[in-house]
Formats: sequence, structure tokens, C-alpha cells
Amino acid sequence: MSREQKPKARGVRDPKKGPFIFLFLLPAFLFLIVFMYYPIEETIRLSLTKTTGMGSGVFVGLENYQKLLVNPEFQQGLLHVFTWAFWSVLIQIPLAFLIAFGLTYYGNKLTGPLRSIFYLSNVMPSAIVAMLGKFIFAPRYGIISSLASAIGWKWLGAIDYLGSSNLAFWSVFAIATWAYTGFPIIFLMARIEQIPRELREAAELDGASAWRYAWSVVIPDLNYPIRILMVLSTVGSIKLFDLPKMMTSGGPGFATVTLGITLYNQGFVNWNYGTASAIGVIIFVLSLLFTVIQFTVGNKEGKAI
Amino acid sequence: MSDRKNRLRYGASEVVVTALLIVLALIVIAPLVIPLLFAFKTQLEFSYHPWALPKALLMSNFSDAWKAIRIDQGLLNTLFVALGAIATTLPPSFFGGYIFARYKSKVTEIAFYCILIGYFVPAQMVLIPLYKFEVATKLNNTLWGLFLVMATFGIPFWTLIYRSFFAGLPNELFEAARIDGASHSKTFFNIMLPLANPATVLALLLVFIGAWSDFLLSLILLTDQNLFTMQLRVNSFLGAYGTDRMPRYASAAVIAALPTIILYIAGHKWIIKGTIAGAVKE
Repeated sequence: MSREQKPKARGVRDPKKGPFIFLFLLPAFLFLIVFMYYPIEETIRLSLTKTTGMGSGVFVGLENYQKLLVNPEFQQGLLHVFTWAFWSVLIQIPLAFLIAFGLTYYGNKLTGPLRSIFYLSNVMPSAIVAMLGKFIFAPRYGIISSLASAIGWKWLGAIDYLGSSNLAFWSVFAIATWAYTGFPIIFLMARIEQIPRELREAAELDGASAWRYAWSVVIPDLNYPIRILMVLSTVGSIKLFDLPKMMTSGGPGFATVTLGITLYNQGFVNWNYGTASAIGVIIFVLSLLFTVIQFTVGNKEGKAI
Repeated sequence: MSDRKNRLRYGASEVVVTALLIVLALIVIAPLVIPLLFAFKTQLEFSYHPWALPKALLMSNFSDAWKAIRIDQGLLNTLFVALGAIATTLPPSFFGGYIFARYKSKVTEIAFYCILIGYFVPAQMVLIPLYKFEVATKLNNTLWGLFLVMATFGIPFWTLIYRSFFAGLPNELFEAARIDGASHSKTFFNIMLPLANPATVLALLLVFIGAWSDFLLSLILLTDQNLFTMQLRVNSFLGAYGTDRMPRYASAAVIAALPTIILYIAGHKWIIKGTIAGAVKE
């Protein structure tokens, strides 16, 4: 009631505190125990057993993992997710930087509306993105093909972008770039807008060009957010599933398989639970590895500031 | 004089850069607008003049596409899943986040790390056991079975967000309420939770969008076509109908994308703000 009671109230043991904490933590733990901890234990157990559908299976040690290493579909999947990660970092992030810098540098009336448009494709569900991707790359009637025949470039219209094993991967990658560059754009814009005005004014007084200002002031300041984006990109690539699954089903052949698609095929097409679980564990280990890198990078930077 | 010259040059470069950005923005919108040009045409008209404006506004492609996707049923299912995901993600997260921010002890710290682990677990890791578990408990092919899993994978992240939010509130508020004799739960429900409204709005939006867009979990856990969400319906459409009848395909794309576009036009400011806030706290 009054301030004088404060120390006393603190010293007294509160018998209701324990039950309160327990009750408040209970819901989260109920969810996690049933739908996460138990499945994690099961995934690890299954990845060490040989099962097909029914029955509890036989313990086979690391056999599932050893077999995966020589499985061509898995090898292609692994190669594809890291190729995807490499080019996402190399293409999407610089592109996002250029757009973010262009949008913030002049900061006129169009900045806000343009930012909203650039982020629009990012909120599109992957099923819609896949649908539009097929719309663009379809043979004969797709946007590219019909534009090409409209201007008389028959050779360009004759290409089967999603059906060719050389081009399918890059076509899916192109539509992903269309869809997912919006996030790095708004993320970088938010950081750039925090750079103090004085720095910009000082740079302009010194006669620095926009390029010079970008290179000497903005990019050093974006060091940390860009590294975060690189890691997010990599972890996202390791989990890549939706777009190649819906646009090409991993094909033609193994041209667009990813770890996620291999997992799906092993688990829900071949009903090979052991192998599929082993891939699940590998996806977890790889993404954990890169998330840990993100956090160590983050901590270092935190101390510097 | 030189100052004026400078400003003029600045003006020219501003125009060039803005024009470039507008072109890029048009590229972003193009795949969403071009289907409109195709959707109202007959197949014949489309094959001869794909890029001309439609002669008449033919609606039969839309009714065909509507029948093929059954968008009304899809929207209802998706909405139910999204609201269910919100209702089951938020309370466990704000309860947990509150405890971790305000009742720090050895025990709660261990509990916190147990929940933090969940943040690093991708759904793909546990897909097989989740599927087996839901089949065994008959939760598969129910919308409940779907959003409970979505909630599980959202809770660790939102617990983190609520924890940092509650930790940022002034300590005096908390102590004053306790001294006034308010019980633990009263302090939370009457004082602390309303103060967390900004975090709650953020969670509402992003959990909704996440559930709305989900593909992988829905694909694994739902096989009954009546329960299919919008995204599963789009996926079935892609599998069943080719792009040969392009006008119908384009109409389906328009129908499928429209709800998200409307959602975005209505809430883009909040969505962008929320996404940035969520990303920065991550």
C-alpha cells in the first residue's frame, strides 16, 4: 500500500509465485513437448533405423547416413542448395543494396510507395509465386515465349525454360529473386535511414559523389546487417522446398532437387522413413551451423558498438 | 552560381535514378498485372492477339478457374487455420515471455534455453514423426492438427519477442502493482499485457501471414481435398491443369493472388513496419 512496505514485501516468501510461474510456462511446454521435443527424439531414432511404413524397424546405426552420401539425388540436392545460397548472396543482396540506396538517397515522394511495391512480391505465398513463375516461363504461351514471338524472336520463344535440365534451376532461381529481394530491400533501407544526417551533409560539403558516399559511409555502416542477410539467405537455401517442388517437382531428372525435396520423396513417395529422417537431421545440423555463425557474428559486433 | 549548377545536376541524377527504380517496380508488378490482359480472352483470341486489349470481357475463364480451385472453400479453410494459429501461438508466447522477463531465476533460465532450442529447429527436421504422430492420433486431415503444429514452430520466436518487450517496460510499473496487492495474474492481465499491445499487433499480423502462406506443413498434414487451404488448391491446379489453356490459367492466377494483394493494399504500412521490427529484434 505504501512505499515503506516495499522491502518487507520483497523479503517475504511468496507461496503463490511458484505455481504462477508453472502455470504460465505450461502452455508453451505442452506444445513443444508434443509437437517438437518428442518428434526430435523420434527423428533421431528413426534416422538410425530401417523402416518402411508399418512396424518399429531395425536399428542399423549410421547406415542411412552412409547410404545418403552416395545417393545421387541427395548429392544433387546438397549441391543445389549451396549453389542457390551462393548466388542468392552474390545477386540478391547487392541488387537489394542498390535499390535500397537509390530509394533512400533522394528520399522523395515516391520513396514510400516504391518501397511498398518492392515488398509486395515478398508477401505473396510461395504457391502464388510458383504459379506466376510457370506463367512467365511456360513454353509457347508463357510471358517470355509470347513476347518473343510477338517481336519475331522465334529462337527465344522456342526455349523450354522449366523443361530443360540446364535452365530449370536458373528459371526457378530467377522467380525467387523476383519474389524475395523485397525483404533485404526494406531491411537495408531501415538501416540506411538510421545513418545520421550530418554524415551525409558532411560528405556533400566535401564534394563526395553519391557513389563515394555509398562506398565510404553507407556500406561500412551496413557491414553487420549485410552479414545477417547472408546468413538468412544461406539458412533459407538449406531449407529450400516450396518453389522447386511446385514449379518442377525437382526435375527434369534431378535438375532442381533440394534437400527438402529429397526428404519429401524419400518419406512420402518411397515411404522410407529412416532415410527421410536422416535428411531431416542433416538439414537441422546444417542450418544450426549457419545460425550459430550468425549469432557469433552478432555478438562480436555487439561488443564493438 | 556553382551551387545552382550542382543542384541542377543533382536534379538530373535524381530523375534518372527514380526512373530506373520505377522501371524495376514495374517489373515487380508485371507478373501480377499481365494475367489480367490474358484472362478475359477466348483461347482463339489469345493465340492470335495475346498482347492486345481483350475485345470483350469474357467471364467464363473465371468461372472455370473458380470451379477448379473452389476458392470459397479454400479461403474459409485458410482463414480458419490462420485464426487458429493466432489463437494458439500468442497466449503461450506472451505467458512465457512474461515469465522470462519478470521472474528471472535459475529454473526459469533453464526453461528459457529449452524454449530457445525450438527456435533453431526447422519443420523439415521433424516432418516424418509429426506425420506419424498425427496419423496415430487422427489429427491429420483436421485443420486443428495443422495450426497446432504451426503454433509450435512460432512459439519460440514470439516468446523471444515478448520477453524482450516485457523486459523493456519500466520496472516501477511492475513493483507498484505488486505492492498495491495485485496478484501475479492480475498484474499481468490488467497492467502488463495491455502494455504489450505493440508486440501483440506485430504477432497478429505476422502469424496470420505465415499461416496464410504455408505450403509444406499443409501439404504433409492435409490429404482431404475438402480441407485444402488456398495454397494447396493452387498447387493442385498447377498439377492438374497445364498452361496450354492460358486464359484459364491466367484467370486462376488472378483469383489466387487477389486475396493477398487486397490484404497487402490494406495493411502494407503495418506489414512493412512489423517485418522490420521483427527482423531487427531477431
